[in-house]
Amino acid sequence: MHGRIKVRTSEEEKAKKEKERQEKLKIFKHAMAKIQNKRKLGELDKEQLDVTGQVLSSNPDIYTLWNIRREILIEFRKQLPEEEITKLYDAELSLTEYCLKINPKSYCAWHQREWVLTTRSDPDWKKEVALCNTYLKLDERNFHTWDYRRFVVSQCKYSLQEEFDYTTEKLLDNFSNYSAWHYRSKMLLDLYPDKEGGRPIQDSYYKHELKMVLSAAFTDPDDTSAWFYQRWLLGAVKTVTKIVVSTVTPSKTTVAFNHTVPLKYVKENVQIFFNNVNVVGEWFSCVQKQNDDVWILKHDQCVNDDLNIKVEHCINGAEKETLVLSTYKPSYYVGKNIICFQNKYSTTVLAELNEQLDACRQLLEMEPDNKWTLLTTAFFLYCVDAKTYNKEIDKILQSLIGIDKQRAGYYCDLKSKWSIEKEIHDNYDKMDLEMKVAVKNLTCLPRLQYYSFCENVDLSHQNLNENVLPSLIKLQHCKKLNLSYNKITTLRKFPLFQLEELDLKGNDIDNSDIEELKNKYKNIKIIL
Amino acid sequence: MSFKTKDVVLSADRPKSLLIPKHADYLASYGLNKDDFEYCMTEYLRMSGIYWSLTAMELMDQTSRMPKDDIIQFITSCQDNESGGISASNGHDPHMLYTLSAVQVLAMYDRLDAIDVDGVVRYVSSMQQEDGSFYGDKWGEVDTRFSFCAVMTLSLLHRLDAINVNKAVDFVLSCMNFDGGFGSKPGSESHAGLIYCCVGTLSICNRMDALKADELAWWLCERQLPSGGLNGRPEKLPDLCYSWWVMASLSMLNRIHWVDKDNLEQYILACQDAESGGFSDRPGDIPDPFHTLFGLAGLSLLGNSSIKRVNPTYCMPQETIDRLRLEPQILLI
Ligand SMILES: [Zn+2]
Repeated sequence: MHGRIKVRTSEEEKAKKEKERQEKLKIFKHAMAKIQNKRKLGELDKEQLDVTGQVLSSNPDIYTLWNIRREILIEFRKQLPEEEITKLYDAELSLTEYCLKINPKSYCAWHQREWVLTTRSDPDWKKEVALCNTYLKLDERNFHTWDYRRFVVSQCKYSLQEEFDYTTEKLLDNFSNYSAWHYRSKMLLDLYPDKEGGRPIQDSYYKHELKMVLSAAFTDPDDTSAWFYQRWLLGAVKTVTKIVVSTVTPSKTTVAFNHTVPLKYVKENVQIFFNNVNVVGEWFSCVQKQNDDVWILKHDQCVNDDLNIKVEHCINGAEKETLVLSTYKPSYYVGKNIICFQNKYSTTVLAELNEQLDACRQLLEMEPDNKWTLLTTAFFLYCVDAKTYNKEIDKILQSLIGIDKQRAGYYCDLKSKWSIEKEIHDNYDKMDLEMKVAVKNLTCLPRLQYYSFCENVDLSHQNLNENVLPSLIKLQHCKKLNLSYNKITTLRKFPLFQLEELDLKGNDIDNSDIEELKNKYKNIKIIL
Repeated sequence: MSFKTKDVVLSADRPKSLLIPKHADYLASYGLNKDDFEYCMTEYLRMSGIYWSLTAMELMDQTSRMPKDDIIQFITSCQDNESGGISASNGHDPHMLYTLSAVQVLAMYDRLDAIDVDGVVRYVSSMQQEDGSFYGDKWGEVDTRFSFCAVMTLSLLHRLDAINVNKAVDFVLSCMNFDGGFGSKPGSESHAGLIYCCVGTLSICNRMDALKADELAWWLCERQLPSGGLNGRPEKLPDLCYSWWVMASLSMLNRIHWVDKDNLEQYILACQDAESGGFSDRPGDIPDPFHTLFGLAGLSLLGNSSIKRVNPTYCMPQETIDRLRLEPQILLI
């Protein structure tokens, strides 16, 4: 029940209203009893159509009554002449229209309309498009109407371009129409893909859309609709699946990817070679799922200290990347890939992004505390050159934590993610088997699979709480883990892996949790 | 045209503490008068009504105030022998929505023996289509809500093997949008209620990895308005039930800390009706069992210790989910 305000009324009014309601209820109950009785007797007739129609006109959500009407119409189709049926279908459409006036969000009424139009032999789709236009003028955000519009359009083969233009028209009328931005996103990729460059969107259109977002933003920066569209545009770049690191030790062989991939993908596209001989084994996800970003190869090959190990990865079935593993210490082999988190845009788009970045900076000079301008500036900086602008981005996120307090948690996690990316970018190739990040105040552990090769992991003095514990499973080769001075209060979600030493100093953890962990890890040394 | 955020203002004299006894009284008396107008007019969703009330009572640890035997008998009487599906009430047709509600209620009562379980499994699996989607009933309405009904019902019965889970997941993923959210069918706009259904489906099917977690969770946390309440889509008014749809989704995404919990708690408490008991969609509106459940469940997710823990995927007490040995997936962060 939505949007019904409780009004104070006198006892007298209350009694009057209750009397009215009881009258209505009597009629309703009588009608429902009649309908159910007739249904039991199998009476599929005009009278039943009338009674159900009366009840539905004021209660369009009683789904069973629509079912009964469909049963009757199906039966009538077998008996009555075509013109009679046409009349009945028209009447049915009028009824749904009447119901939708009372409740424009009635799932049942919309579905009945769809059913009539797909069942009758002479649907008038043009009329339905007109109906959608009218309804969308009354409420431009009713998602039922938009859904129905998409259904109608798919039936009458309207061109994508016409629909795309319709969203342009709607948006120019009011930029705050999220439904129109949404619909636009659905068509943009189909209408303007970048066939030659293999990017999702053609340059000229990419630019066009970015500009449209900017004019919406200038019209009113506090209207959020366009910002979501912009965020999507910025992320619409080509992505490639890559291996980030592979690790082979006597106890375990693992491969980590830049994002999750299904088991089938790993089986078909990844091969590990010991002295040029393909290692045969079975792949397991580190969290026992069908899709994962850290995969374990169980095999019975002996891992000693004079092996040549390489990993081959078929990208998209064509390109091949080869990772040669080096010896980090006896019988401990690691192969790291070259890592890049930077989005790759075309020069045209990049120029546009830089231009818009300047516009944002100008806006910030006038209004330094505007949340949306700040956030957009941070994303432009990140997308244009995350490494160079690192300090500026960090400063913006820090001020957003203060300005938009409700979402401080989001900004903290975003800060953690971008800092870790920078850390990986700067130091990954130089790292030995120890993870020790220069980053402070981590609140979450994104990209942890990149550190799956580490033996020693130092995550002390951060802002981590128990919610991150299950993620530690990615540290498949970790033996020594330092989680001291964090905000962990319980160990209930601590995953099982081959840890030897765990430092939990400076956390407020219940003793029973520690005991339980000791039971799970028989030989673990816990430092408290 | 100047743009104004749609929101409400919380008044100073709003309820600020949780009124458990009032809510229990409200739910216990709801429907006692069989001639109550509201009660009669909502007969077409009775089975869900029972689920809302019982779950709310469970969360308040007041289950004994519901007429258990009557409820179980009623559910048995609502199962259609032929199709195996369960209807909202006697004289109504079987439907996925009410089949789920019935199974949830019986699971909480640990009385799944009261229905023909094979019949339910037969009904649910008969609703799956070639593309993996589900009908709501034999009349062919397709919606991601019904995908969620299907996997939730079957998982509660430990019979997920009766459908093609991969296809069910693929269909849900085909409804993913530019903002990382989901709508009711492919092409439909994102909506917090349907996002909950789709994320819930992926949580039960262990495919949370397929989500664009950061994008989706950002969209979800942007639902919080200055009043502390949450809306279900951009530029819409806050509504209490969205504290459930949004917060449950964020819980499964392991990012519940992306909204201001204290702020939201204030809003939820303000939606209580201090006179009659129960919660409404917005402060000052008429309460109903639907919003009463989602108010309480929302508070439970926020960690309110006077309410039992609720499971974010199933919207049922965690103890029931533990008893059934179900482990819906929560994303790593
Ligand atoms: Zn609501």
